[in-house]
Parts: sequence; structure tokens; C-alpha cells
Amino acid sequence: MIRINDKEMEFCGNVLELLLSLNLNPQVCAVLVNGEIVKKEMWENFLLKDGDYVEIVSFVGGG
Amino acid sequence: MFEIGGKTLKSRLFVGTGKLPDYSVIEKMYYEAGVEVFAVAVRRIGPNTKHTKNVLEYIPKDAVIMVNTSGAQDHKEAVKIAMIGRELTNSNWVKVEIEKDTKYLFPDSIETLKACEILVKEGFKVFPYIYPDLNLAKELELIGVEAVMPLGSPIGTNKGIGCEVLLKPIINEIKIPVIIDAGIGRPSHAAKAMEMGADAVLINTAIATSSDPVKMAIAFSKAVEAGRLAFEVGLLKEYEYAQASSPLEDFITG
Repeated sequence: MIRINDKEMEFCGNVLELLLSLNLNPQVCAVLVNGEIVKKEMWENFLLKDGDYVEIVSFVGGG
Repeated sequence: MFEIGGKTLKSRLFVGTGKLPDYSVIEKMYYEAGVEVFAVAVRRIGPNTKHTKNVLEYIPKDAVIMVNTSGAQDHKEAVKIAMIGRELTNSNWVKVEIEKDTKYLFPDSIETLKACEILVKEGFKVFPYIYPDLNLAKELELIGVEAVMPLGSPIGTNKGIGCEVLLKPIINEIKIPVIIDAGIGRPSHAAKAMEMGADAVLINTAIATSSDPVKMAIAFSKAVEAGRLAFEVGLLKEYEYAQASSPLEDFITG
């Protein structure tokens, strides 16, 4: 079980696979695992484990 | 043309992209109003969030992206947002915006100063959103920010330049650019900011929430240019009594 943006879900795989499974465009996302940025080049090697807290962020309109 | 944050820009009108009805107007603002700098925010995205569209996909590639740290409650969060922004955009322009209260959205000066110290060291071009506070502006200039962004009045209020007596000393005493941000509601407010000697203005609500954001951006763009030209020429002093424009002698007596 991992937590994504405050919601729990069952997931097994790496960061890139997670984004694709959520139908998100990986090119415009940044990912934090347990509060730390995971660089894009690390996504495929970064396996998510039980209890990880994942935040997926992107850009929205802002002033 | 003016230099700021390591870039040469033509337009002194910076635009925030919050509250836009449709991100497709961004490209029109770039081409039709000449806007070169667009502010954006970082938020969570995903199946259970409100945001599904990424604003970056709508910003022309030659435009400058200014990532704001809105939503940050302290300097640590602001630094983290800035890092995420740089990771995603390759833009090192960051508008430091740290607000603890949501009623007035006033910037937290102490946390802002701390965040700016760290971000300057990390190689960012730092643009702090601040109160019109000359002492703070001087302190920020010393640590190496690119510009200061004092508020005209509270964010989104459309009240205009509510604190001219506090802004003027900053414009007069600070050597780095001064960008009046927040509260500017009308093109005439923007013209006034430029007449006062501001280097640029950042407008969001007044453009984004108007019935025609592109047309309003054009209006602001013209106002900013007009105000700037007047400042460069030098405003004339005011007089108590009429000063005749036509000669006061050799009148026809008929």
C-alpha cells in the first residue's frame, strides 16, 4: 500500500509505471517520494515500496 | 528593451496565469499584447485533484516562465517548490511568495528573506513578493535577488496603488528593478505605477477575470508603455493656479 496525494492505493512498480497507470503525462509531472524530489532520469529505477508517500505535481495557472 | 534576470525583454508587462477561463489565451497574449513573462504555480496533479491540465503546455517556448511558490507556508516549502519548478521548466526564475494568512494574502517577510537567501545561493534568479518595505527591499538587494516585487494593494483586490508613499522610496533607493505586483486593477493603475518609475508590473486578476483577457492584456500593455515613456521624459510639477497655455498679451480688442 502506498499513499498518493493523500489517497491510499495498492501499487507495485516504479515511478514511471505509476504515472502511466494514472494516465498522467510524465513529461509535465514532477514526483516527490517521502518529501524528496525523484529526478526524471531515476524514475525507471525507483521502485516504490510499501508505506511510501508519493506526491505528483505539475503546473497550473498562478500569479 | 530592458535587462532583468539575465534576459533582455521588450515588454514591462508580466502576466499571471491564475484564474484564466482557458489557457489558450496565453499564446494570444504573447503574440497580440507582447507579453513575454508568464507566472505559473505548482500544484498536485492526479486522478483525485481538481487540476488536470498543465499550463506549461500552453506557454510559447520563447516566453519566460516565472514559477511562483504560492502555497508555501514557510521558507522550506518555498525552496522545495522552487526546486520542483526548476526541475520541470529549466527556468531559474522564481517568484518567492510565502503567505500564512489567506484573508489578506500578505507576504511573510521573515520567511521570504530566509527563502531568498537559500535560493540565491542555489543559483536561482529570485523575485520576492514583498510588502512595500524599504528596509526589507534593501536587505534583499544585498543578498542578491534580481528584483523586488512590492504589492500595490492586496492580491486580487483591484484597488490599485494603495501605498504610493511606501512604494516611491523603494523605487528611489533600490538599484535593482522594482516590479509592482498585486492589486493593480485597471490599466490606469499600471500607467501610474510606471509613471512613478517602476520597472515593470505583474498583473493577474485584472486580466484573467475580465470578459476578454486578450483585449485587456493589450490595454495593460499600452498603459505600461505610456507610463514608462512619461517616466523617461519626466513628469511635470503641479501648480496651485492656472498657468496659461496661450499668450496672455496682444489680445484682439475688436
